[in-house]
Amino acid sequence: MNRIVDHPILGPLADAEVVHIIVDGVALTARKGEMIAAALIANGKNTFRRTVKRDEPRGIYCGIGRCTDCVMTVNGIPNVRTCVTEVAEGMVIETQLGSGEWQ
Amino acid sequence: MSDETENRDMLICRCEEVTLGEILDAIDDGFVTVKDVKRATRAGMGLCQGRSCSRTIARIISQRTGKPLDEVLPKSYRYPVRPEKMSAALSEESEDESDS
Repeated sequence: MNRIVDHPILGPLADAEVVHIIVDGVALTARKGEMIAAALIANGKNTFRRTVKRDEPRGIYCGIGRCTDCVMTVNGIPNVRTCVTEVAEGMVIETQLGSGEWQ
Repeated sequence: MSDETENRDMLICRCEEVTLGEILDAIDDGFVTVKDVKRATRAGMGLCQGRSCSRTIARIISQRTGKPLDEVLPKSYRYPVRPEKMSAALSEESEDESDS
């Protein structure tokens, strides 16, 4: 787990409801109310998509929903900005290649 | 731009994976507005529609051509300014859940 549980300024992390998500077929847990990107990074996943031209890994970049670098396929919908989309129970999240495909 | 030779591989448009080198080559080929560079290289045509790179490209053009920054013509901005689900516009309820 890469989650910061004792932040130097914010203090210890409060308990939160657990949300179950499926990422590339693997069942993971997240904290209710957090963004998909935060849950993935907490679970050690930093590659959210791969690029078409250079086949390079991409993850979080701006973190505020502007740059679209963190987009993934969520519940079959491609190009969902994971840094500004909250996790939900049973959410199916998949690594995306390029612009992705509707599923 | 003195160190441009070392940085030609630097990504300027992250969505379309356009490098500084490609943009400099386009400018040297006579594409000297942001719109021209976009048409020549696809920089700013990706998912984020130039939200990250338009200003950078304007500055690169300004530095390369010596034109003042405010005289470099911008590209056309197309709405929406920020990607949003249609459901956010259709009902007020979903606005609360919207991800902006």
